[in-house]
Amino acid sequence: MIETNKDKLLKLAVMGEIVPSGSGGYRPTWNGVPKMSLGMGGIKYNLRVGDLCYGWASGDHVEPGVTIRGTEKPSPSECALALLACIGNEARLTSGEAKNEKGVFTGRHAGSDDLIWFPEETIEKLAIGDKVQVKAHGVGLKIKGFEDVRVNKCSPRLLENLGIEIDGDQLVVPVVAEIPGFLMGSGIGSSQNVEPGDYDIQTTDPATNEKYGLKKLRLGDIVLLQDQLCMNGRGYYKGSMTIGTIIHGWSDSAGHGPGVNPLLSTIGRRIRTVIDPRANTARYLGLRDDL
Amino acid sequence: MVKTNKENLLEIALQGEITHTAIPSTYTTTWDNKSQMSLGRGGIVYNVKVGDPCYGWELGDNVEPGVSADGTDTDRAKGGFRNLSNIGNRVKVLGGEAKGKWGTVIGKVGYLPGRGHHVVMHFKQDVIDDLTIGDKVQIRAKGAGHKFLDYPGVAVVSCSPELVESWGIEEKDGKLHVPVTKVVPMDYVGQGAGGSPPQASNWDIQTQSPDAVEFCKDFRFGDIVLLEDTLSYYGRGYYHGAVTVGVVITGPSNHMGHGIGVSTLLSCKEGQIVPKVDPDLNLKKMLDLEV
Repeated sequence: MIETNKDKLLKLAVMGEIVPSGSGGYRPTWNGVPKMSLGMGGIKYNLRVGDLCYGWASGDHVEPGVTIRGTEKPSPSECALALLACIGNEARLTSGEAKNEKGVFTGRHAGSDDLIWFPEETIEKLAIGDKVQVKAHGVGLKIKGFEDVRVNKCSPRLLENLGIEIDGDQLVVPVVAEIPGFLMGSGIGSSQNVEPGDYDIQTTDPATNEKYGLKKLRLGDIVLLQDQLCMNGRGYYKGSMTIGTIIHGWSDSAGHGPGVNPLLSTIGRRIRTVIDPRANTARYLGLRDDL
Repeated sequence: MVKTNKENLLEIALQGEITHTAIPSTYTTTWDNKSQMSLGRGGIVYNVKVGDPCYGWELGDNVEPGVSADGTDTDRAKGGFRNLSNIGNRVKVLGGEAKGKWGTVIGKVGYLPGRGHHVVMHFKQDVIDDLTIGDKVQIRAKGAGHKFLDYPGVAVVSCSPELVESWGIEEKDGKLHVPVTKVVPMDYVGQGAGGSPPQASNWDIQTQSPDAVEFCKDFRFGDIVLLEDTLSYYGRGYYHGAVTVGVVITGPSNHMGHGIGVSTLLSCKEGQIVPKVDPDLNLKKMLDLEV
C-alpha cells in the first residue's frame, strides 16, 4: 500500500457551470470528408465513464456525463476549476432543480471542458447553466518514497484506489493498454502546465487503430504512454513513462483521438505496469459496478 | 521535371505587418522545471538568417530566422495571409524606410502566444536594417491549389512554382525522388499533430530527450526534412507509412513537446515520395537567397 502526503493537501472550492453542447458546423475529417460532430459539451444523457470511446454516431471527442466550465476568467483553461480540480473530487450542484445533489469530477478536456459524473436520476433534473462546485483536493499530492514521480490531476481517493503495489524501487500500476508514444498527438506542447489539459491518442490511421486495438478503449480506462514525459508539459522523452486516464472519445480529425489526462509520470524507470482489462476510473471511484 | 498545374494558379496579393517579437508575459517553465525568459520568436531578428545553425542562440527558444509578419485586423486578412502564402513567394515592403524593397517567404509558424501566427520572410541585411516593426508588407502569392499532375495522392502545400522548379525532384519508376537534408523518425515529431489546415502553422521536432537533441544538433534554418509516418492532408496526424516533407523554420525549444519547427511542403500517404538525402541541401541555396 502506498503512503502519501494527503494530510498536507489543502482542500478548497472551485466553481463551474454546465455549458451548452458544442456545435461547430461541418469540418473536414483526416481524409477530407465533411463531418458534423457532436458529443462535446453539455449534458449527455446516455454516455457515461466506462462506456466505449468508439462507435458513437457522428461522435467526435465525446465527453461522458456532464460538461462544466469555470467562468471567472476569459479562458476556461485559466480558471481554478481547470487547474485545481482532481479526478475523484466531490462535486455538488449549487443551483437548479438538483441543488445539493452530488457527483464526481472525472477529467478535463483541454481547451474548455471539465467533466462531472452525476447519478442518472440527478442528470434528468439538470439544466444547462446550473452551477457546480467541486472540492478541489489533490494538487501537490506525492507518494512517499516516490517523490520524483509526478502526480497530476489525481485525488487522494483515486490514487489510493488505482491498485498500485510497490515492488522495490518501482510502483506497479495496473493498466488496460500500453500505448506507444509516437501515437500521441494533439495536445503535445500545448502548455507547460500539465494540469489543465489532456492529449490525444491519434486515431487517424485505420490500420494502426486495429493493430493497437484502439476501438476497445473505454472512457476512464487507465493506460500507459511509453516514452512520454508529463512533468512540465507533455511530450517525447526516451525511456520515460506516463500513466493516464482516457477522458474523451475517438476522433476522425487528423492528429486527434481519445484524450488522456496524465496521472503519474516518471523520467526514469520508477513505474512498471501490469495489464488489467478492468483498470478504469469508473470502477475505482465506485461510479458503476458492471465493469 | 515533374508536371504541375502552375499555369492554372491564381496569383493574388496578401497584406500583413511585421510583428513584434512574440514573448509570453511571464517566465515560462521548461521541460526540466526551470524558469526561462525566451527570445527570438519572430519580429525582426537581425542576426539569424536562413542557412544559419538552429542551435547556439542564448535563451533562444523556437527562434525564427529573419523577419516575421502576420495578417492584421480581420479574420479574412489573417486567414489569407497565413493559409495562402507560399514558400518562395516574393514579398514587397509597402511603407517605411525600406519601401519598395523585396524579400522572400521562407516558412510559416503557429502556436505562438495568443494564438498568433507568423509568416517568416528573408530579406537582405541592408533591407532588414531599414525595417520597422509595423511596416506593411505585401506577398505576391502563387501556389495555393498547386498539384503534381501525375501524382494525385501527393498534397503540395504552400509551395511556390519557383520552389518546385528549383528543388530537383526526379521521377523514377512512378515515384517522386525528392531531395531532402535529413529524414526524421516519427518518435521525435511532436507539436503540430491535430493542427489544421497544414497550410498554416507547423510541425515540431521535439528537442528535450537527449537522443533527439543529438539528432537535431546540426540542423540549419532552411533545411528540408522528411518526417516519417506523418500525414498532412486536411490536418496533421500520425499515419503509418505516410510522409511529410517540410522546411526547418524555427530553432529548438526547452519547452516540452516543442522544438525545431517544420513548415509543410509535401505530403503523401502511400509511398509516392522517396527521399534522396543531400546533407548540403538548404532553402537558401535552392532559392538562391542573397544575404
